[in-house]
Amino acid sequence: MPVERGAKLHQRELKMKKNKIFLEDICDPSIQMADIEPEKLMPLPYPYDTPEAQPAIKRLTDDQKARYESDLDGFLALKIPKPETKEEEEQLVKKFLEGLKKLLSRENNWTFLMPLMMSLEYCAKCQTCNDACPVYVASGKQEIYRPTYRSEVLRKIINKYIKPGGKAFAKFTGNEIDLNWKTVARLAELAYRCTLCRRCAQACPIGVDNGLITHELRKLFSQEMGIAPEELHKKGSVQQLEVGSSTGMSRQAFKDIIEFLEEEIEEKTGKKITIPVDKKGADILLIHNAGEFLSWPENPSAFAIIFEEAGLNWTLSSEIAGYDAVNYGVWYDDAQLARVAVRHAKIAKDLGVKKIVVGECGHAHKALMVIADRVLNEDLNIPRESCLPLLEDIVINGKLKLDPQKNNFPVTLHDPCNIVRLMGIVEPQRKILRKIAPQFREMAPEGVKNYCCGGGAGFAIMPSLNMPDWRSSVSSRMKFKQILEVFQDVIDPGIRKMVCAPCSNCKGAIRDLLEYYDAWEKTGIAYTGLVDLIVNAMVDIEGPFIEWPDEM
Amino acid sequence: MCSISWVQILSYVTVVICGVGIAVKVIKTYALPIHLRWELYPIPHEKGFKYGGSYFEEVDWWKKPRKKNFLNFLKFLFIEILFVRALYHNNRKMWYVSFPLHFGLYLVIGWLGLLFLAAVLSALGLPAEHALILFLHGIATVLGVIGFLLAAVGCVGVIIRRATAPELQGFSAPIDYCNLVFILAVVVSGLTMWLVADPRFLQVREYLTSLITFKSAGPLGPAMTLHVVLFSLFAIYLPFTHMSHAFMKFFLWDKVFFEDDPNLKGSSVESRVASVLNYTQTWSAPHMHAGGTWSETASKGVKDEEK
Repeated sequence: MPVERGAKLHQRELKMKKNKIFLEDICDPSIQMADIEPEKLMPLPYPYDTPEAQPAIKRLTDDQKARYESDLDGFLALKIPKPETKEEEEQLVKKFLEGLKKLLSRENNWTFLMPLMMSLEYCAKCQTCNDACPVYVASGKQEIYRPTYRSEVLRKIINKYIKPGGKAFAKFTGNEIDLNWKTVARLAELAYRCTLCRRCAQACPIGVDNGLITHELRKLFSQEMGIAPEELHKKGSVQQLEVGSSTGMSRQAFKDIIEFLEEEIEEKTGKKITIPVDKKGADILLIHNAGEFLSWPENPSAFAIIFEEAGLNWTLSSEIAGYDAVNYGVWYDDAQLARVAVRHAKIAKDLGVKKIVVGECGHAHKALMVIADRVLNEDLNIPRESCLPLLEDIVINGKLKLDPQKNNFPVTLHDPCNIVRLMGIVEPQRKILRKIAPQFREMAPEGVKNYCCGGGAGFAIMPSLNMPDWRSSVSSRMKFKQILEVFQDVIDPGIRKMVCAPCSNCKGAIRDLLEYYDAWEKTGIAYTGLVDLIVNAMVDIEGPFIEWPDEM
Repeated sequence: MCSISWVQILSYVTVVICGVGIAVKVIKTYALPIHLRWELYPIPHEKGFKYGGSYFEEVDWWKKPRKKNFLNFLKFLFIEILFVRALYHNNRKMWYVSFPLHFGLYLVIGWLGLLFLAAVLSALGLPAEHALILFLHGIATVLGVIGFLLAAVGCVGVIIRRATAPELQGFSAPIDYCNLVFILAVVVSGLTMWLVADPRFLQVREYLTSLITFKSAGPLGPAMTLHVVLFSLFAIYLPFTHMSHAFMKFFLWDKVFFEDDPNLKGSSVESRVASVLNYTQTWSAPHMHAGGTWSETASKGVKDEEK
């Protein structure tokens, strides 16, 4: 036995050393499939171009490793308990296969059946998508983070275990994967190592979408097996539907915050504004990501200032879920997606508004305007639009008096994937910044070719165990590289500069990223939203509206 | 009829199986239910295609007339399919071998199409020396020779790349190599036929004429027989493999990435959505309430015990 264990350990070390992990290794219980070490990650520009500048990565404790299945890469998004009996192991596999059949069925998965079937069927395995993936590249090209890795594993499982006669020629057809509980648990965890940014799909010469396959895997685990990150399900969409917000904010707390915002606005700008709440017959129902009220209250305040100044007839809602635009279902569960979207639409219908406008929240944009477009039928089909063209109209058409010199510092724009690549809202935010920020500069690549902030697909709001370290060191790494590169000529920490991120989750990820690397101290880089910069440029506001980290 | 050879019968069978195979694939794709939107920008038919913009960039977008630029869409398809542009931009090493393979095969399809057209004209009574037939045949000859050569070179290149590039090795199964060897056999047999038996492809045209007129083709010779057999078997096999991405990728773009039709009141999208919302789902997680329609599922909350 010790000899055998020794041989396995040797095999593991060898594989890790050579980064030689193959598809079938996902079934191998003797190895950890990837090990994230700071020195092996994609290099960063100055001043993070030395090994000493890389923050240490938090490791799981022995207790956590003993309790949960963690040998995918040493990080945990799901916390799947290790099965204690053979029966539990078999049950996990059985339920997975049952879910897989449902995922491929018309009635259970009409929502994404066509895209899924086509992406499963037509991949040429050319690996063109790999270098488009910021997670794979930033990780130092870890095999398991290839966009094709989890897709190909799933494809092999379907070919071998679901398709008739799949086992007969498994070796010849390359489907020699063995489905065991380890494979299932690792596949579940691996579904939470992709930000669903879909750059891979954009690069594919055929149109195969590995992001979609990841999304469908997440759905299988949630909808069939009840496996989903606590932050997305129990504390996320469930809490939102019951309490009112995924932040846990109750209706009363929301109303209290609105009062606080009104006081803050008056104190900061001298403007006495009554923020309309539950105003029947308003033209616009504005829905914010509720995280803004708690983490960045200046953002909803800025919206209120702009909308009032522009003379819009608008309102917020204090109904359950009406003051929280988030819709985490978009990342893991079609039922939860539909429930939240239906709730939003019902609130708008009851208020009798002409349209819903989504605030600075990327995934809420995509969920309510794009994905739920084919859920909200008949009287629930209330017109929905992004805040960005509305803000463009206000700014460009001179409905506010603005002085761009008030924003005379280097500003760059982060493109939230959900708003830009996945919705095609590219220019309004740029037109605004060109008008209000004289030192506006583009990252490279920008627009629909942008890189994800690293907080996509739920990562920004999943703070459990060591996932935040994975996010900041791996999935946000490419974004950090872009930010550093765009500011290299003004990288001196004495020069204040701003990343504008018109999305709450992106803002959260960038906030954590800058903190993780101590970027304000070392480079003078801060972050904010778009409306904050607009209000900062308003002529009739005396002091600066935005606050730099050293002023807080 | 009795003088029709087994090779001709194989050709007829090929046309039927390949045709039906492709048709079934396309019909099955069209028959899939409407799905939730999952578009990806830039979308060629959108006004803001150059930078990836959409109609969502406009205030009150639903009140404005939608214009789809169909020409841009066709232009995109033409460049993408013919020149594999995405591969050129994102994976140049692969493009160097994949482009000749694909472009070569498209030229071979063009060769066959033009010869078939010439054969149809011939069957309709146009003399073999007619300028139109000579013109079509002349172009077909050029396309055929270049096509077979390019496809052969590309195919060998793809096999070598699959076998040597570390990122491809682990993802390449024996069947992938077999498929490539099959393509190589088809194009090399075509080249051999051209070199040793039919340098002007006159026999090929005569053979096609015989198929159209249901007359005996006469003896074909070993090189041509081999090529016709291999070509036929490959055409029978193609629709049932992932290699059908050659034509199915149209649907990946048209029906998924570029499918941005909004659900406007009174639209066909609205009625199709109404239909799928009545499907019954049987997902087992407690919060799913298995057994209800999707419409009911969307209206339900999650009770404590179901979280």
